[in-house]
Amino acid sequence: MADTVKNNLEPQLNRRGFIKGCTLAAAALGLSDAMIPKVVEAAATAERPRVIWLHFQECTGCTESLLRASHPDIGRLILDIISLDYHETIMAAAGHQAEQNLHDTVDNHPFILVIEGAIPTKDNGIYCKIAGKTAMDILAEVAPKATAIIAIGTCAAFGGIQSAAPNPTGAVGVQDLVSDTPIINIPGCPPNPISFLGTILHYLTFKRFPALDKLNRPLFAYGRRIHDHCERRAHFDEGRFVEQFGDKFHKLGYCLYKVGCKGPETFSNCPVVRFNDVDAWPVSVGHGCIGCTEPNFWDTMTPFYERLPMIKIPATGIVASADKIGKTILAATAVGVGIHGAVGIGRSLIKGKKQTPEA
Amino acid sequence: MATFEKQQCWSVLLRLFHWMFALSIVFLVVTGFYINNPWSNTMIEGSASFPMAMMRYIHFIAAYTFSGAVLIRSFLYIFGNAQEKVIDVLPITKRNINNLIVTLLQYCYISDKHDERLGHNILAGLTYLFTFFVAITMICSGFFMLFPEIPFWQGWGLMLFGSQQSARFLHHILMWWFMIFVVIHIYLCIWNDVKSPEGVISSIFTGVKFTHKS
Repeated sequence: MADTVKNNLEPQLNRRGFIKGCTLAAAALGLSDAMIPKVVEAAATAERPRVIWLHFQECTGCTESLLRASHPDIGRLILDIISLDYHETIMAAAGHQAEQNLHDTVDNHPFILVIEGAIPTKDNGIYCKIAGKTAMDILAEVAPKATAIIAIGTCAAFGGIQSAAPNPTGAVGVQDLVSDTPIINIPGCPPNPISFLGTILHYLTFKRFPALDKLNRPLFAYGRRIHDHCERRAHFDEGRFVEQFGDKFHKLGYCLYKVGCKGPETFSNCPVVRFNDVDAWPVSVGHGCIGCTEPNFWDTMTPFYERLPMIKIPATGIVASADKIGKTILAATAVGVGIHGAVGIGRSLIKGKKQTPEA
Repeated sequence: MATFEKQQCWSVLLRLFHWMFALSIVFLVVTGFYINNPWSNTMIEGSASFPMAMMRYIHFIAAYTFSGAVLIRSFLYIFGNAQEKVIDVLPITKRNINNLIVTLLQYCYISDKHDERLGHNILAGLTYLFTFFVAITMICSGFFMLFPEIPFWQGWGLMLFGSQQSARFLHHILMWWFMIFVVIHIYLCIWNDVKSPEGVISSIFTGVKFTHKS
Protein backbone atom coordinates (compact mmCIF):
# COMPACT_ATOMS: atom_id res chain seq x y z
CA MET A 1 0.00 0.00 0.00
CA ALA A 2 2.85 2.32 0.81
CA ASP A 3 4.21 1.86 -2.69
CA THR A 4 0.87 2.66 -4.21
CA VAL A 5 0.70 5.87 -2.28
CA LYS A 6 4.21 6.74 -3.33
CA ASN A 7 3.57 5.96 -6.97
CA ASN A 8 0.21 7.59 -7.27
CA LEU A 9 0.25 10.50 -4.92
CA GLU A 10 3.81 11.68 -5.00
CA PRO A 11 3.44 15.07 -6.58
CA GLN A 12 6.86 15.50 -8.12
CA LEU A 13 6.77 13.18 -11.13
CA ASN A 14 4.20 11.85 -13.53
CA ARG A 15 6.12 10.04 -16.23
CA ARG A 16 3.12 9.77 -18.52
CA GLY A 17 2.65 13.53 -18.52
CA PHE A 18 6.35 14.08 -18.97
CA ILE A 19 6.59 11.82 -22.04
CA LYS A 20 3.45 13.41 -23.40
CA GLY A 21 5.03 16.85 -23.08
CA CYS A 22 8.23 15.78 -24.79
CA THR A 23 6.26 14.13 -27.60
CA LEU A 24 4.23 17.26 -28.15
CA ALA A 25 7.34 19.40 -28.27
CA ALA A 26 8.97 16.96 -30.70
CA ALA A 27 5.89 17.14 -32.92
CA ALA A 28 5.93 20.92 -32.81
CA LEU A 29 9.56 20.84 -33.90
CA GLY A 30 8.73 18.47 -36.73
CA LEU A 31 10.97 15.66 -35.39
CA SER A 32 10.29 12.02 -36.22
CA ASP A 33 8.97 9.77 -33.48
CA ALA A 34 12.35 8.05 -33.39
CA MET A 35 13.71 11.26 -31.87
CA ILE A 36 11.26 11.29 -28.95
CA PRO A 37 13.45 9.11 -26.66
CA LYS A 38 16.30 11.55 -27.27
CA VAL A 39 14.09 14.51 -26.38
CA VAL A 40 12.99 12.68 -23.23
CA GLU A 41 16.58 11.85 -22.37
CA ALA A 42 17.71 15.40 -22.97
CA ALA A 43 14.86 16.86 -20.97
CA ALA A 44 15.47 14.44 -18.08
CA THR A 45 19.23 14.94 -17.95
CA ALA A 46 20.89 16.01 -14.72
CA GLU A 47 22.64 18.93 -16.34
CA ARG A 48 19.85 21.38 -16.41
CA PRO A 49 20.81 24.52 -18.33
CA ARG A 50 20.79 27.66 -16.28
CA VAL A 51 18.33 30.27 -17.39
CA ILE A 52 18.16 33.90 -16.40
CA TRP A 53 14.91 35.64 -17.18
CA LEU A 54 14.98 39.42 -17.21
CA HIS A 55 11.89 41.62 -17.28
CA PHE A 56 12.09 45.07 -18.78
CA GLN A 57 9.28 47.21 -20.22
CA GLU A 58 6.50 44.65 -20.30
CA CYS A 59 3.16 43.53 -18.91
CA THR A 60 4.33 40.06 -17.75
CA GLY A 61 1.81 38.60 -20.20
CA CYS A 62 4.45 36.34 -21.72
CA THR A 63 5.22 34.93 -18.27
CA GLU A 64 1.51 34.58 -17.57
CA SER A 65 1.18 32.66 -20.82
CA LEU A 66 4.09 30.41 -19.86
CA LEU A 67 2.54 29.77 -16.43
CA ARG A 68 -0.41 28.24 -18.28
CA ALA A 69 1.76 25.94 -20.35
CA SER A 70 0.83 22.32 -19.93
CA HIS A 71 3.28 20.22 -21.93
CA PRO A 72 5.38 20.42 -19.85
CA ASP A 73 3.81 22.60 -17.20
CA ILE A 74 5.72 25.43 -15.60
CA GLY A 75 6.50 23.34 -12.49
CA ARG A 76 8.17 20.64 -14.55
CA LEU A 77 9.92 23.19 -16.69
CA ILE A 78 11.63 24.97 -13.83
CA LEU A 79 12.11 22.00 -11.52
CA ASP A 80 13.14 19.27 -13.96
CA ILE A 81 14.15 20.75 -17.29
CA ILE A 82 15.86 24.06 -16.69
CA SER A 83 17.37 25.75 -13.69
CA LEU A 84 15.65 29.09 -13.52
CA ASP A 85 18.13 31.10 -11.49
CA TYR A 86 16.47 34.48 -11.79
CA HIS A 87 12.90 35.35 -12.71
CA GLU A 88 11.30 38.31 -11.00
CA THR A 89 7.77 36.92 -11.08
CA ILE A 90 8.31 33.38 -9.82
CA MET A 91 11.63 33.32 -7.95
CA ALA A 92 11.57 32.73 -4.21
CA ALA A 93 14.50 35.02 -3.45
CA ALA A 94 14.06 38.74 -2.99
CA GLY A 95 16.17 41.87 -2.63
CA HIS A 96 19.92 41.38 -2.22
CA GLN A 97 19.56 37.63 -2.30
CA ALA A 98 17.95 37.78 -5.73
CA GLU A 99 20.65 40.10 -7.01
CA GLN A 100 23.28 37.74 -5.64
CA ASN A 101 21.71 34.78 -7.44
CA LEU A 102 21.76 36.76 -10.65
CA HIS A 103 25.40 37.79 -10.37
CA ASP A 104 26.51 34.36 -9.22
CA THR A 105 25.12 32.79 -12.37
CA VAL A 106 26.24 35.56 -14.70
CA ASP A 107 29.81 35.52 -13.41
CA ASN A 108 30.37 31.81 -12.87
CA HIS A 109 28.22 29.72 -15.16
CA PRO A 110 27.15 29.43 -18.78
CA PHE A 111 23.50 30.38 -19.08
CA ILE A 112 20.69 31.09 -21.49
CA LEU A 113 19.28 34.57 -21.19
CA VAL A 114 15.56 35.08 -21.68
CA ILE A 115 14.39 38.64 -22.06
CA GLU A 116 10.81 39.76 -21.75
CA GLY A 117 9.96 43.36 -22.58
CA ALA A 118 11.44 46.20 -24.60
CA ILE A 119 14.40 48.31 -23.54
CA PRO A 120 13.93 52.10 -23.35
CA THR A 121 16.93 54.00 -24.69
CA LYS A 122 15.84 57.64 -24.54
CA ASP A 123 17.46 59.85 -21.86
CA ASN A 124 20.03 57.14 -21.10
CA GLY A 125 17.33 54.58 -20.49
CA ILE A 126 15.95 56.03 -17.24
CA TYR A 127 12.42 54.88 -18.04
CA CYS A 128 13.03 51.35 -16.79
CA LYS A 129 15.15 50.68 -13.71
CA ILE A 130 15.63 47.53 -11.66
CA ALA A 131 17.76 47.48 -8.49
CA GLY A 132 18.89 51.03 -9.30
CA LYS A 133 20.25 50.15 -12.72
CA THR A 134 18.73 50.93 -16.07
CA ALA A 135 17.52 48.15 -18.36
CA MET A 136 20.21 49.20 -20.86
CA ASP A 137 22.97 48.76 -18.26
CA ILE A 138 21.63 45.41 -17.08
CA LEU A 139 21.42 44.16 -20.65
CA ALA A 140 24.92 45.42 -21.47
CA GLU A 141 26.25 43.63 -18.39
CA VAL A 142 24.43 40.31 -18.77
CA ALA A 143 24.00 39.83 -22.53
CA PRO A 144 27.67 39.41 -23.58
CA LYS A 145 28.13 36.55 -21.10
CA ALA A 146 25.06 34.60 -22.22
CA THR A 147 25.32 31.53 -24.44
CA ALA A 148 22.31 32.74 -26.34
CA ILE A 149 19.45 35.14 -25.87
CA ILE A 150 15.81 34.22 -26.27
CA ALA A 151 13.73 37.35 -26.74
CA ILE A 152 10.27 36.23 -25.67
CA GLY A 153 7.32 38.29 -26.79
CA THR A 154 7.02 40.99 -29.41
CA CYS A 155 8.32 43.69 -27.03
CA ALA A 156 11.66 41.99 -26.49
CA ALA A 157 11.87 40.92 -30.14
CA PHE A 158 10.82 44.10 -31.95
CA GLY A 159 9.92 46.71 -29.31
CA GLY A 160 6.21 45.95 -29.17
CA ILE A 161 3.67 48.48 -27.96
CA GLN A 162 6.32 50.54 -26.17
CA SER A 163 8.00 51.31 -29.47
CA ALA A 164 4.74 52.15 -31.26
CA ALA A 165 4.63 55.69 -32.63
CA PRO A 166 5.47 58.13 -31.12
CA ASN A 167 7.64 55.85 -28.95
CA PRO A 168 8.03 58.25 -26.00
CA THR A 169 10.72 56.22 -24.22
CA GLY A 170 12.76 55.26 -27.29
CA ALA A 171 11.99 51.59 -26.69
CA VAL A 172 13.74 49.01 -28.87
CA GLY A 173 13.95 45.23 -29.07
CA VAL A 174 16.96 43.22 -27.87
CA GLN A 175 18.36 42.75 -31.39
CA ASP A 176 18.83 46.51 -31.75
CA LEU A 177 21.20 46.62 -28.78
CA VAL A 178 22.99 43.26 -28.74
CA SER A 179 25.10 42.12 -31.65
CA ASP A 180 27.64 39.54 -30.49
CA THR A 181 25.36 36.99 -28.83
CA PRO A 182 23.02 34.81 -30.90
CA ILE A 183 19.42 35.95 -30.53
CA ILE A 184 16.29 33.87 -31.03
CA ASN A 185 13.08 35.86 -31.28
CA ILE A 186 9.85 34.27 -30.06
CA PRO A 187 7.45 37.10 -30.86
CA GLY A 188 3.75 37.13 -30.08
CA CYS A 189 1.50 39.01 -27.72
CA PRO A 190 1.82 36.68 -25.93
CA PRO A 191 3.70 33.94 -27.79
CA ASN A 192 2.45 30.41 -27.54
CA PRO A 193 4.41 28.65 -24.74
CA ILE A 194 4.86 25.69 -27.14
CA SER A 195 7.12 27.85 -29.31
CA PHE A 196 9.29 28.80 -26.33
CA LEU A 197 9.43 25.31 -24.85
CA GLY A 198 10.09 23.80 -28.28
CA THR A 199 13.11 26.08 -28.66
CA ILE A 200 14.43 25.11 -25.22
CA LEU A 201 13.91 21.38 -25.85
CA HIS A 202 15.53 21.65 -29.27
CA TYR A 203 18.57 23.15 -27.58
CA LEU A 204 18.63 20.47 -24.90
CA THR A 205 18.32 17.68 -27.46
CA PHE A 206 20.74 18.86 -30.11
CA LYS A 207 22.88 21.36 -28.18
CA ARG A 208 22.09 23.98 -30.76
CA PHE A 209 19.16 26.26 -31.50
CA PRO A 210 16.57 25.57 -34.21
CA ALA A 211 16.75 26.99 -37.75
CA LEU A 212 15.66 30.61 -37.91
CA ASP A 213 14.04 32.87 -40.49
CA LYS A 214 15.39 36.30 -41.47
CA LEU A 215 13.79 37.87 -38.39
CA ASN A 216 15.51 35.27 -36.16
CA ARG A 217 12.27 33.47 -35.44
CA PRO A 218 12.39 29.64 -35.23
CA LEU A 219 11.09 28.23 -38.50
CA PHE A 220 9.27 25.39 -36.78
CA ALA A 221 6.93 27.93 -35.22
CA TYR A 222 7.11 30.95 -37.54
CA GLY A 223 7.85 29.35 -40.90
CA ARG A 224 4.37 29.66 -42.37
CA ARG A 225 1.69 32.26 -42.65
CA ILE A 226 -1.40 31.90 -40.49
CA HIS A 227 -3.48 32.32 -43.66
CA ASP A 228 -1.95 29.22 -45.25
CA HIS A 229 -2.95 26.95 -42.39
CA CYS A 230 -6.20 28.63 -41.43
CA GLU A 231 -9.33 26.52 -41.10
CA ARG A 232 -11.30 29.34 -42.78
CA ARG A 233 -9.00 29.44 -45.82
CA ALA A 234 -11.48 27.62 -48.08
CA HIS A 235 -14.00 30.40 -47.47
CA PHE A 236 -11.38 32.94 -48.58
CA ASP A 237 -10.68 31.20 -51.89
CA GLU A 238 -14.38 30.70 -52.53
CA GLY A 239 -15.10 34.35 -51.85
CA ARG A 240 -17.22 33.91 -48.74
CA PHE A 241 -16.57 36.68 -46.27
CA VAL A 242 -17.85 38.07 -43.00
CA GLU A 243 -19.10 41.57 -43.86
CA GLN A 244 -19.37 42.73 -40.27
CA PHE A 245 -19.18 41.13 -36.85
CA GLY A 246 -22.38 39.38 -35.87
CA ASP A 247 -23.88 39.11 -39.37
CA LYS A 248 -25.16 35.83 -40.77
CA PHE A 249 -21.85 35.16 -42.55
CA HIS A 250 -20.05 35.53 -39.24
CA LYS A 251 -22.40 32.97 -37.70
CA LEU A 252 -21.69 30.63 -40.62
CA GLY A 253 -17.96 30.85 -39.90
CA TYR A 254 -16.86 32.54 -43.12
CA CYS A 255 -13.46 34.16 -43.72
CA LEU A 256 -12.62 37.21 -41.56
CA TYR A 257 -10.54 38.91 -44.28
CA LYS A 258 -12.93 41.81 -44.83
CA VAL A 259 -13.16 42.58 -41.11
CA GLY A 260 -9.41 43.09 -40.96
CA CYS A 261 -7.89 39.66 -40.29
CA LYS A 262 -4.10 39.95 -40.65
CA GLY A 263 -3.55 36.22 -41.16
CA PRO A 264 -2.24 36.73 -44.73
CA GLU A 265 0.70 38.82 -43.49
CA THR A 266 1.48 37.11 -40.20
CA PHE A 267 3.81 34.21 -39.56
CA SER A 268 2.89 31.92 -36.69
CA ASN A 269 1.83 28.41 -35.78
CA CYS A 270 -1.41 29.52 -34.06
CA PRO A 271 -3.79 27.59 -36.38
CA VAL A 272 -1.82 24.40 -35.81
CA VAL A 273 -0.88 24.28 -32.12
CA ARG A 274 -3.63 26.58 -30.81
CA PHE A 275 -3.72 27.71 -27.20
CA ASN A 276 -4.06 26.43 -23.66
CA ASP A 277 -5.13 22.84 -24.44
CA VAL A 278 -8.63 23.89 -25.41
CA ASP A 279 -8.01 23.88 -29.18
CA ALA A 280 -8.99 27.52 -29.47
CA TRP A 281 -7.24 30.44 -31.14
CA PRO A 282 -8.56 33.87 -32.17
CA VAL A 283 -9.77 32.97 -35.66
CA SER A 284 -11.48 29.78 -34.46
CA VAL A 285 -13.63 31.85 -32.10
CA GLY A 286 -14.54 34.47 -34.70
CA HIS A 287 -11.96 37.24 -34.32
CA GLY A 288 -9.41 38.08 -36.98
CA CYS A 289 -5.67 37.78 -36.42
CA ILE A 290 -4.09 41.08 -35.32
CA GLY A 291 -0.62 40.17 -36.58
CA CYS A 292 1.07 40.23 -33.16
CA THR A 293 4.16 38.27 -34.23
CA GLU A 294 5.25 40.80 -36.85
CA PRO A 295 7.61 43.79 -36.40
CA ASN A 296 5.91 47.12 -35.60
CA PHE A 297 2.51 45.50 -35.53
CA TRP A 298 0.98 48.26 -33.42
CA ASP A 299 1.80 50.74 -36.16
CA THR A 300 1.26 48.66 -39.29
CA MET A 301 -1.56 46.26 -38.35
CA THR A 302 -3.87 48.92 -36.90
CA PRO A 303 -6.74 49.64 -37.36
CA PHE A 304 -7.25 46.00 -36.46
CA TYR A 305 -10.60 45.84 -38.26
CA GLU A 306 -9.37 47.32 -41.56
CA ARG A 307 -7.13 45.64 -44.10
CA LEU A 308 -4.57 48.42 -44.37
CA PRO A 309 -3.25 51.20 -42.15
CA MET A 310 -4.61 54.72 -42.47
CA ILE A 311 -2.61 57.46 -44.14
CA LYS A 312 -1.71 60.41 -41.97
CA ILE A 313 -0.97 63.57 -43.91
CA PRO A 314 1.51 65.57 -41.83
CA ALA A 315 0.55 69.04 -40.57
CA THR A 316 -3.08 68.75 -41.72
CA GLY A 317 -4.54 66.37 -39.15
CA ILE A 318 -6.07 64.36 -41.99
CA VAL A 319 -6.26 60.65 -41.33
CA ALA A 320 -7.96 58.64 -44.04
CA SER A 321 -7.74 55.33 -45.84
CA ALA A 322 -5.41 54.96 -48.81
CA ASP A 323 -8.39 54.44 -51.11
CA LYS A 324 -10.14 57.61 -50.00
CA ILE A 325 -7.02 59.68 -50.57
CA GLY A 326 -6.33 57.89 -53.84
CA LYS A 327 -9.83 58.61 -55.11
CA THR A 328 -9.51 62.26 -54.10
CA ILE A 329 -6.21 62.68 -55.94
CA LEU A 330 -7.52 60.82 -58.98
CA ALA A 331 -10.62 63.05 -59.06
CA ALA A 332 -8.43 66.14 -58.69
CA THR A 333 -6.30 64.89 -61.59
CA ALA A 334 -9.36 64.37 -63.76
CA VAL A 335 -10.61 67.86 -62.88
CA GLY A 336 -7.17 69.30 -63.67
CA VAL A 337 -7.13 67.54 -67.02
CA GLY A 338 -10.61 68.86 -67.75
CA ILE A 339 -9.65 72.43 -66.91
CA HIS A 340 -6.48 72.16 -68.98
CA GLY A 341 -8.45 70.93 -71.96
CA ALA A 342 -11.12 73.59 -71.52
CA VAL A 343 -8.51 76.34 -71.36
CA GLY A 344 -6.95 75.01 -74.56
CA ILE A 345 -10.28 74.95 -76.39
CA GLY A 346 -11.22 78.40 -75.04
CA ARG A 347 -7.93 79.82 -76.18
CA SER A 348 -8.27 78.52 -79.70
CA LEU A 349 -11.85 79.85 -79.87
CA ILE A 350 -10.70 83.33 -78.84
CA LYS A 351 -7.54 83.48 -80.91
CA GLY A 352 -8.95 81.58 -83.86
CA LYS A 353 -7.31 78.59 -85.39
CA LYS A 354 -3.70 79.41 -85.94
CA GLN A 355 -2.69 79.02 -89.57
CA THR A 356 0.33 76.83 -89.53
CA PRO A 357 2.39 76.35 -92.64
CA GLU A 358 1.53 72.62 -92.63
CA ALA A 359 -2.21 73.18 -92.81
CA MET B 1 3.80 73.16 -99.17
CA ALA B 2 5.08 71.64 -96.08
CA THR B 3 6.54 68.25 -96.44
CA PHE B 4 6.88 65.54 -93.84
CA GLU B 5 8.88 62.42 -93.81
CA LYS B 6 8.29 59.17 -92.05
CA GLN B 7 10.91 58.32 -89.46
CA GLN B 8 11.29 55.05 -87.62
CA CYS B 9 11.07 55.94 -83.94
CA TRP B 10 10.04 53.01 -81.71
CA SER B 11 11.38 49.49 -82.10
CA VAL B 12 9.08 46.46 -82.05
CA LEU B 13 10.39 45.64 -78.58
CA LEU B 14 9.37 49.03 -77.21
CA ARG B 15 5.89 48.76 -78.66
CA LEU B 16 5.63 45.25 -77.23
CA PHE B 17 6.72 46.63 -73.85
CA HIS B 18 4.11 49.40 -74.02
CA TRP B 19 1.17 47.12 -74.69
CA MET B 20 2.25 44.43 -72.25
CA PHE B 21 2.63 47.13 -69.63
CA ALA B 22 -0.68 48.85 -70.43
CA LEU B 23 -2.82 45.72 -70.59
CA SER B 24 -1.27 44.11 -67.53
CA ILE B 25 -1.89 47.31 -65.53
CA VAL B 26 -5.60 47.21 -66.40
CA PHE B 27 -5.88 43.61 -65.17
CA LEU B 28 -3.67 44.25 -62.14
CA VAL B 29 -5.68 47.24 -60.96
CA VAL B 30 -9.08 45.58 -61.35
CA THR B 31 -8.06 42.29 -59.72
CA GLY B 32 -5.99 44.17 -57.15
CA PHE B 33 -9.05 46.05 -56.01
CA TYR B 34 -10.91 42.79 -55.63
CA ILE B 35 -8.09 41.18 -53.67
CA ASN B 36 -7.85 44.15 -51.34
CA ASN B 37 -11.57 44.47 -50.75
CA PRO B 38 -13.65 41.74 -52.41
CA TRP B 39 -16.86 43.34 -53.61
CA SER B 40 -18.73 40.07 -54.05
CA ASN B 41 -19.90 37.58 -51.50
CA THR B 42 -20.71 34.02 -52.51
CA MET B 43 -24.05 33.38 -50.91
CA ILE B 44 -24.40 29.76 -51.92
CA GLU B 45 -21.93 27.24 -50.63
CA GLY B 46 -20.76 24.46 -52.89
CA SER B 47 -21.58 26.50 -55.97
CA ALA B 48 -18.22 25.83 -57.62
CA SER B 49 -17.45 29.54 -57.67
CA PHE B 50 -13.90 30.39 -56.90
CA PRO B 51 -13.75 34.18 -57.21
CA MET B 52 -10.85 35.05 -54.90
CA ALA B 53 -8.69 32.22 -56.21
CA MET B 54 -9.48 33.24 -59.82
CA MET B 55 -8.80 36.92 -59.18
CA ARG B 56 -5.48 36.06 -57.57
CA TYR B 57 -4.65 33.76 -60.50
CA ILE B 58 -5.34 36.54 -63.03
CA HIS B 59 -3.42 38.98 -60.86
CA PHE B 60 -0.37 36.73 -60.86
CA ILE B 61 -0.46 36.12 -64.63
CA ALA B 62 -0.76 39.86 -65.22
CA ALA B 63 2.02 40.44 -62.68
CA TYR B 64 4.42 38.19 -64.59
CA THR B 65 3.49 39.99 -67.83
CA PHE B 66 4.11 43.29 -66.07
CA SER B 67 7.50 42.06 -64.80
CA GLY B 68 8.40 40.91 -68.31
CA ALA B 69 7.47 44.32 -69.69
CA VAL B 70 9.65 46.08 -67.10
CA LEU B 71 12.50 43.73 -67.94
CA ILE B 72 12.17 44.68 -71.63
CA ARG B 73 12.12 48.38 -70.76
CA SER B 74 15.23 48.12 -68.61
CA PHE B 75 16.99 46.37 -71.51
CA LEU B 76 15.89 49.15 -73.88
CA TYR B 77 16.97 51.87 -71.45
CA ILE B 78 20.50 50.58 -71.92
CA PHE B 79 20.60 48.91 -75.35
CA GLY B 80 17.63 50.47 -77.17
CA ASN B 81 17.76 52.87 -80.09
CA ALA B 82 18.57 56.58 -79.74
CA GLN B 83 15.04 57.49 -78.62
CA GLU B 84 14.73 54.59 -76.18
CA LYS B 85 17.98 54.97 -74.23
CA VAL B 86 17.66 56.49 -70.76
CA ILE B 87 20.27 59.11 -71.66
CA ASP B 88 17.81 60.60 -74.19
CA VAL B 89 15.34 61.68 -71.49
CA LEU B 90 17.68 62.88 -68.74
CA PRO B 91 17.92 66.69 -68.46
CA ILE B 92 21.70 66.66 -68.58
CA THR B 93 22.43 68.14 -72.00
CA LYS B 94 21.66 71.66 -73.14
CA ARG B 95 19.26 70.34 -75.75
CA ASN B 96 17.34 68.32 -73.18
CA ILE B 97 17.12 71.11 -70.58
CA ASN B 98 15.88 73.45 -73.29
CA ASN B 99 13.28 70.91 -74.33
CA LEU B 100 12.08 70.55 -70.72
CA ILE B 101 11.57 74.32 -70.41
CA VAL B 102 9.87 74.68 -73.80
CA THR B 103 7.58 71.74 -73.02
CA LEU B 104 6.58 73.17 -69.63
CA LEU B 105 5.84 76.57 -71.19
CA GLN B 106 3.80 74.98 -73.93
CA TYR B 107 1.82 72.80 -71.50
CA CYS B 108 1.03 75.89 -69.41
CA TYR B 109 -0.22 77.73 -72.54
CA ILE B 110 2.42 80.40 -71.97
CA SER B 111 4.09 79.85 -75.30
CA ASP B 112 3.01 78.13 -78.49
CA LYS B 113 6.52 77.09 -79.36
CA HIS B 114 6.91 73.37 -79.87
CA ASP B 115 10.32 71.76 -79.67
CA GLU B 116 10.20 69.07 -82.30
CA ARG B 117 12.15 65.97 -81.51
CA LEU B 118 11.78 62.36 -82.47
CA GLY B 119 11.80 60.75 -79.02
CA HIS B 120 9.97 61.61 -75.79
CA ASN B 121 9.91 65.16 -74.62
CA ILE B 122 11.88 65.42 -71.39
CA LEU B 123 8.84 65.95 -69.14
CA ALA B 124 7.24 62.78 -70.48
CA GLY B 125 10.54 60.91 -70.39
CA LEU B 126 11.13 61.77 -66.74
CA THR B 127 7.59 60.77 -65.83
CA TYR B 128 8.11 57.42 -67.56
CA LEU B 129 11.39 56.97 -65.73
CA PHE B 130 9.67 57.67 -62.41
CA THR B 131 6.92 55.21 -63.33
CA PHE B 132 9.60 52.67 -64.21
CA PHE B 133 11.00 52.89 -60.68
CA VAL B 134 7.52 52.72 -59.17
CA ALA B 135 6.97 49.59 -61.27
CA ILE B 136 10.16 48.04 -59.90
CA THR B 137 8.95 48.77 -56.35
CA MET B 138 5.63 47.12 -57.23
CA ILE B 139 7.44 44.05 -58.54
CA CYS B 140 9.64 43.76 -55.44
CA SER B 141 6.76 44.18 -53.00
CA GLY B 142 4.61 41.86 -55.10
CA PHE B 143 7.12 39.03 -55.19
CA PHE B 144 7.81 39.53 -51.49
CA MET B 145 4.10 38.92 -50.85
CA LEU B 146 3.87 36.05 -53.33
CA PHE B 147 6.91 34.18 -52.02
CA PRO B 148 7.19 35.27 -48.37
CA GLU B 149 8.91 32.07 -47.32
CA ILE B 150 11.69 32.01 -49.93
CA PRO B 151 14.86 33.26 -48.22
CA PHE B 152 15.82 35.50 -51.17
CA TRP B 153 12.55 37.43 -51.22
CA GLN B 154 12.25 37.31 -47.43
CA GLY B 155 15.69 38.87 -47.01
CA TRP B 156 15.23 41.58 -49.62
CA GLY B 157 11.62 42.22 -48.72
CA LEU B 158 12.30 42.69 -45.03
CA MET B 159 15.26 44.93 -45.82
CA LEU B 160 13.25 47.12 -48.19
CA PHE B 161 9.83 47.15 -46.54
CA GLY B 162 10.22 45.99 -42.93
CA SER B 163 7.30 43.57 -42.90
CA GLN B 164 4.70 41.89 -45.07
CA GLN B 165 2.10 44.41 -44.02
CA SER B 166 4.29 47.43 -44.87
CA ALA B 167 4.94 45.94 -48.31
CA ARG B 168 1.20 45.40 -48.80
CA PHE B 169 0.45 48.98 -47.79
CA LEU B 170 3.06 50.39 -50.18
CA HIS B 171 1.88 48.07 -52.96
CA HIS B 172 -1.63 49.43 -52.52
CA ILE B 173 -0.69 53.12 -52.34
CA LEU B 174 1.58 52.95 -55.39
CA MET B 175 -1.23 51.35 -57.43
CA TRP B 176 -2.95 54.73 -57.33
CA TRP B 177 0.00 56.28 -59.15
CA PHE B 178 -0.69 54.05 -62.16
CA MET B 179 -4.31 55.17 -62.33
CA ILE B 180 -3.37 58.83 -62.05
CA PHE B 181 -0.65 58.28 -64.63
CA VAL B 182 -3.08 56.72 -67.11
CA VAL B 183 -5.43 59.72 -66.92
CA ILE B 184 -2.65 62.24 -67.55
CA HIS B 185 -0.88 60.05 -70.12
CA ILE B 186 -3.91 59.50 -72.35
CA TYR B 187 -4.98 63.14 -72.07
CA LEU B 188 -1.56 64.51 -73.02
CA CYS B 189 -1.20 62.06 -75.91
CA ILE B 190 -4.46 63.30 -77.40
CA TRP B 191 -3.50 66.90 -76.62
CA ASN B 192 -0.17 66.49 -78.40
CA ASP B 193 -1.78 64.75 -81.32
CA VAL B 194 -4.15 67.72 -81.71
CA LYS B 195 -1.37 70.30 -81.37
CA SER B 196 1.25 68.89 -83.69
CA PRO B 197 0.89 66.43 -86.54
CA GLU B 198 3.67 64.08 -85.47
CA GLY B 199 1.44 61.06 -85.22
CA VAL B 200 2.28 60.50 -81.57
CA ILE B 201 -0.66 58.16 -80.98
CA SER B 202 -0.23 56.04 -84.09
CA SER B 203 3.50 55.80 -83.40
CA ILE B 204 2.91 53.36 -80.54
CA PHE B 205 1.17 51.04 -83.00
CA THR B 206 3.37 51.58 -86.07
CA GLY B 207 6.64 52.75 -84.55
CA VAL B 208 6.70 55.61 -87.07
CA LYS B 209 6.60 59.35 -86.38
CA PHE B 210 6.44 62.24 -88.83
CA THR B 211 8.90 65.11 -88.80
CA HIS B 212 9.35 68.17 -90.98
CA LYS B 213 11.51 67.55 -94.00
CA SER B 214 14.47 69.84 -93.63
